[in-house]
Amino acid sequence: MAAVERPVGSKYASSAMFLSAAAWFGYLFLLLPSFIVIPMSFGNVGEMVFPPKSFSTFLYKQFFFESNWMDVTWRSFRVASGATVASILLGVPAAYSIVRGNYPGKKYITMLLLSPILIPIIVIALGLYFYFASLGITGSEASLILGHSVYTTPFVIVTSMAGMRHVDQNLETAATIMGAGPFQTFFKVTLPLLRPAIFAGGLFAFLMSFDEVVIAYFIAKAGASTLPVKMFSSIQWEISPVLAAVSTFLTALSLVICLIGAMAQKKD
Amino acid sequence: MAMVRLEKASKRYGDVTALEEVDLSVTEGEFVTLLGPSGSGKTTMLNLIAGMIAPTSGRIFINGQDATETPPNKRGLGMVFQNYALMPHMTIFENVAFPLRVRKRPNDEIQSKVSQVLDLVHLPHVANRKPRELSGGQQQRVALARCIVYNPSIILMDEPLGALDKKLREQMQLELKRIHTDLGITMLYVTHDQEEALTMSDRIVLLNEGQIEQMGAPDDLYFNPRSVFAADFLGNSNLFDATIEEAGANCTASIASGHTIRTKASPIAKTGAKVKIMMRPENVNVVREGDDSSRFDNHVTGSAIDSIILGGVIKHYVRLKDDSTIVAQELTRSGRRALTPGQDVRLAWRREDTLVLPLQGRIPG
Repeated sequence: MAAVERPVGSKYASSAMFLSAAAWFGYLFLLLPSFIVIPMSFGNVGEMVFPPKSFSTFLYKQFFFESNWMDVTWRSFRVASGATVASILLGVPAAYSIVRGNYPGKKYITMLLLSPILIPIIVIALGLYFYFASLGITGSEASLILGHSVYTTPFVIVTSMAGMRHVDQNLETAATIMGAGPFQTFFKVTLPLLRPAIFAGGLFAFLMSFDEVVIAYFIAKAGASTLPVKMFSSIQWEISPVLAAVSTFLTALSLVICLIGAMAQKKD
Repeated sequence: MAMVRLEKASKRYGDVTALEEVDLSVTEGEFVTLLGPSGSGKTTMLNLIAGMIAPTSGRIFINGQDATETPPNKRGLGMVFQNYALMPHMTIFENVAFPLRVRKRPNDEIQSKVSQVLDLVHLPHVANRKPRELSGGQQQRVALARCIVYNPSIILMDEPLGALDKKLREQMQLELKRIHTDLGITMLYVTHDQEEALTMSDRIVLLNEGQIEQMGAPDDLYFNPRSVFAADFLGNSNLFDATIEEAGANCTASIASGHTIRTKASPIAKTGAKVKIMMRPENVNVVREGDDSSRFDNHVTGSAIDSIILGGVIKHYVRLKDDSTIVAQELTRSGRRALTPGQDVRLAWRREDTLVLPLQGRIPG
């Protein structure tokens, strides 16, 4: 029997195989530049070449222990964490209001809140620079957090809005009729159901802030920059091979965060 | 005592009237069903009572208090939804405990009350499961338990059995009825399923286009409909245009096929008036060879169109001279065979089973 069995649509199998091969080739082509730094990061001290001529972990030692790279990395962590918290605190209530609320001009308020996605980032950076300068806070970590929040909040709003649309409004109605006030309903029903969406949006916001160059380049003080800005300037001035180790570290961090996100999603 | 009372409650959305000056009172321990087609205003009425929408005019009283301005979370009502509306992130125990936690009851009271109501709905073993691990019928019983646990003054049910299959629905109807009788809970039940309404209710409120068409006990609505709408919506009916020939106790009316039909006395039967007459199919009998039909007041003949066996009953469709169709329904017995299409058929029924209804509107009650 097995010999005559032919799955439905098997004549498409070869073209499907070709398509997936093409897709994989595309992925590899796009990913290769990111992966090329990984072998380089285990290379030699003095030069940045591919393929590396010898194997050592010296560059990592330098990155983690023997330079000011870690100070900058921690600053990026603090800024990204601050921006994440701020975007969640601003973005989740905004998304709740947009999806559940019913008031005039809602469409325009939504557009306004999401506009940082549409405006060129260089324009945002320039605007923030002048604004913070007039307030006299340019260069502080707080200004970096504020600046990055402008950039990351719309993404938290978008993921939270998508999450809100999956929260059955009947559940909120049921909670209300059972005697829960608006705050109890929000914190005991809506928020727990929204948690996966907030988690995803938060991870996204963190990564975006951690990787962000343009805004940080405009706002950060020299000597108190974020990790990507320091990488950018170091490639211009010194081309230190430690960059390969930093890049590998960033790639690994992004990967870990994405894995955490995927695992959290699967659990829910 | 009236647990819920609506006083001339209206709801308008712009030009559209969803509910027009409705008066309703539900007394303690009563099982009242709001029945009507979609768009008749039954869900609007439920939402007005629950406080999810505010009336355009009129007052709402709950437990004797004017609750028109009371927010929904302060009304002390319970509600069961068609899609169960159990919290997916909570265990069954936490779902049932939710209204008690909101009321800040002590922990040991919550423990004992929740297990008590889970016993009552025959689901003591599912306390630690999540709602999605339960079947639809089980979820709806949990939803009911969640209402019973905080003893609301009335439980509102919005087509709670609509998502269940027929067999389970019938089981749940009996279950609901049992819980209602055992605990004496006041229930207001919304459905568009007339059978469900007839099975369960102490009283049916039939709604049509935002108004109460007729209100009464199930048998009253079934046997004494006051309008064509009520006759048509509850049960099956044969409806014929007719002209009253003689009013009074020996009321008669002529129909288009040329027959003169003896009808029950009616306040709207004035000589010459255009009306509808209505007979339930189960009251129209097929007179077979050798049957004694002298106890019937009305006799007509026609030709058989078809017979359909619906399990326990058989329906005969018969064409009269003017091409109108009359349906007779009998219990299925082995001797009663289907009619041969085209065959001559004699039908007969009693005067008391023939109601006179107005062409439009309803007989004032």
